[in-house]
Amino acid sequence: MSSESAAQNPSLVWPEEEDHSEHLLLDPRPVEEMHGILLDAMQRTGRGFWILVSFLGSLVLIGLVGAWGFQIRWGMGVAGIRRPVFWGLYITNFVFWIGISHSGTFISAILRIFKAEFRRPITRASELMTTFSLLVAGMYPLIHLGRTWRFYWMVPYPNQRQLWPNFHSPLMWDMLAIFTYLIGSTLYLFLPLIPDLAMARDHTKGWRQKLYRIFSLGWRGTEAEWHHLKLAITIFAFAIVPVMFSVHTIVSWDFGMTMKVGWSSSIFGPYFVTGAIFSGVSAVITVLLLVRKSMKLDYFLRAEHFDSLGKLILVFSFAWTYFFFADYLTEWYGGEAVGQQLLTLQARGPVAPLWYLMLVCNIAIPWLTLWNRRVRRSTVGLFVVTLGVNVGMYIERYIIVTGFLTRNRLPFDWGVYNPTIVEVLISIGSLSAFILFYALASRIIPLVPVWEVREGQISHTLRRIGRAMVPSVADLD
Amino acid sequence: MSDTKVIMALFKDPDAVANSLDKLRAEGISDHDMVVISGVPYPAQVLGRPMVWEKLPWISLTGAAIGFMTGIFLNAGTPLLYPIHVGGQALIPIPPTAVLTYELTMMGLIISTFLGVLWESAFPSFGPKYYDPALTHGRIGILFQCPTQNEDELQEMLKAQGAERVYHPERRPL
Repeated sequence: MSSESAAQNPSLVWPEEEDHSEHLLLDPRPVEEMHGILLDAMQRTGRGFWILVSFLGSLVLIGLVGAWGFQIRWGMGVAGIRRPVFWGLYITNFVFWIGISHSGTFISAILRIFKAEFRRPITRASELMTTFSLLVAGMYPLIHLGRTWRFYWMVPYPNQRQLWPNFHSPLMWDMLAIFTYLIGSTLYLFLPLIPDLAMARDHTKGWRQKLYRIFSLGWRGTEAEWHHLKLAITIFAFAIVPVMFSVHTIVSWDFGMTMKVGWSSSIFGPYFVTGAIFSGVSAVITVLLLVRKSMKLDYFLRAEHFDSLGKLILVFSFAWTYFFFADYLTEWYGGEAVGQQLLTLQARGPVAPLWYLMLVCNIAIPWLTLWNRRVRRSTVGLFVVTLGVNVGMYIERYIIVTGFLTRNRLPFDWGVYNPTIVEVLISIGSLSAFILFYALASRIIPLVPVWEVREGQISHTLRRIGRAMVPSVADLD
Repeated sequence: MSDTKVIMALFKDPDAVANSLDKLRAEGISDHDMVVISGVPYPAQVLGRPMVWEKLPWISLTGAAIGFMTGIFLNAGTPLLYPIHVGGQALIPIPPTAVLTYELTMMGLIISTFLGVLWESAFPSFGPKYYDPALTHGRIGILFQCPTQNEDELQEMLKAQGAERVYHPERRPL
């Protein structure tokens, strides 16, 4: 029928039937092969891997042992923070890493709740990013504290004067929110990992088998075990999403609750959360591209996944721009003198080059590129765009934290901020620690939840509707 | 117990598992005496198994309640233990109390859910159990116990239903 119509009207061209095998969930392979791909990738540690580990380990030693130790020995004077800029690179890094931590929860929990099927192979890798980025973020209040050993003053127990910490301080909210999120995201990472650890236990030998045996907790895969696990994952997914929102909102309140012009804004909560998801999902794409290349996981991580994640980045770029502009416009229209100074500082002052670079990275590049399917599916293109987004988001935090503090209501108290080598080394050390943790974990933890992928493959089929074979999903939950 | 045998039947196809479970039930094996083991979760309705009453939501809610009370104690209780009046501000202001109480409620919920899974599944449990590593390679197992005199008949029935292998499993440490 179709060929007859086409013959009668040459302008009618029927599209070729789509090759559905590009979809992971419609391209099942024998289970043994899927496990083999993952376990081989985990056990492949060549010379290049160990060179990378040694290099990163050296940077961690220099930054987090050498430079931080130097700061502890000589005091906060070795950092560039001084009047009026008392929050410098450390707080910028803290906000940035908290933002990155939104990646896992967003991709895993929210997409799980909405049953977005493309999430299946990428949840574990992004959850792992959440845990490690929170560990790095959690270090920064300790570094910024200066007298790190006095951290225990924040722990809620009465000291010898029967004095409790002030729970009404936003800094106390921060600590509890981060602890809640860290505990939640670590357990949320661990629970769905148990069946894959049991799989690894059954098919490895030596120290690996001993390790997987302990952490798989005696999992067999009985109906009751699956039932409890699935129910717990659902409860976790619903519980951790509001916690995720609360964490970055509370971080934004560290700024919003002050009387500082530029910071005291009611829009900072959603603005920070949107920025966090924007940078977090971008970081997930960057890491997934590297993981796919270095661990040869092309079977699991496909163009379709990067295509979907690329669309998310575009949507969050729109959302971030909306909040950025709403915040900017309010300040601009208000005409308050110090606020105008801040806007001048960004547009024509010392931070102007950074500010324009931020706009290019966060708005211009994503908008000009990510509408294009070919860019979203291109490894190099997407890598550059997502790396750029995180450069842009880091700059955004740097300007909000350090730039805004250089101007206040007392012009004689204006100042400049230049980070010192100690701050820079600690920042590099923490970035290296994140990459090092992730690289080592990628060789121990199954980065792809194979059972979730298989569950998806069981529920996906091709169904003929009219003349087309159409992918359809059975809701097994 | 001496007149019963434990049997494991391995299948590839969930339809065959569901049919075999029906046949086993018809032969007088109760659902209580059968366990399905698989590398992928199959909902109870797929295999025609009875729904299990789940205590986990209640454990989670209990944890949330404990977290809530801890939050109330820290926010409202500790200022009363050592009152410091600052600039005419309320000793127990509601908005900050809401923030921290919320965080601690969620922490209680999350921790109790995790502990609830461990409790409900009796984890960790490394002792010897009936298990076959083939189960992580895509097979679905029916583990059941039956009277010795019915053993041969049931084995034949399971093979006829499509079981790849029917055998007496060994307990192995996990």
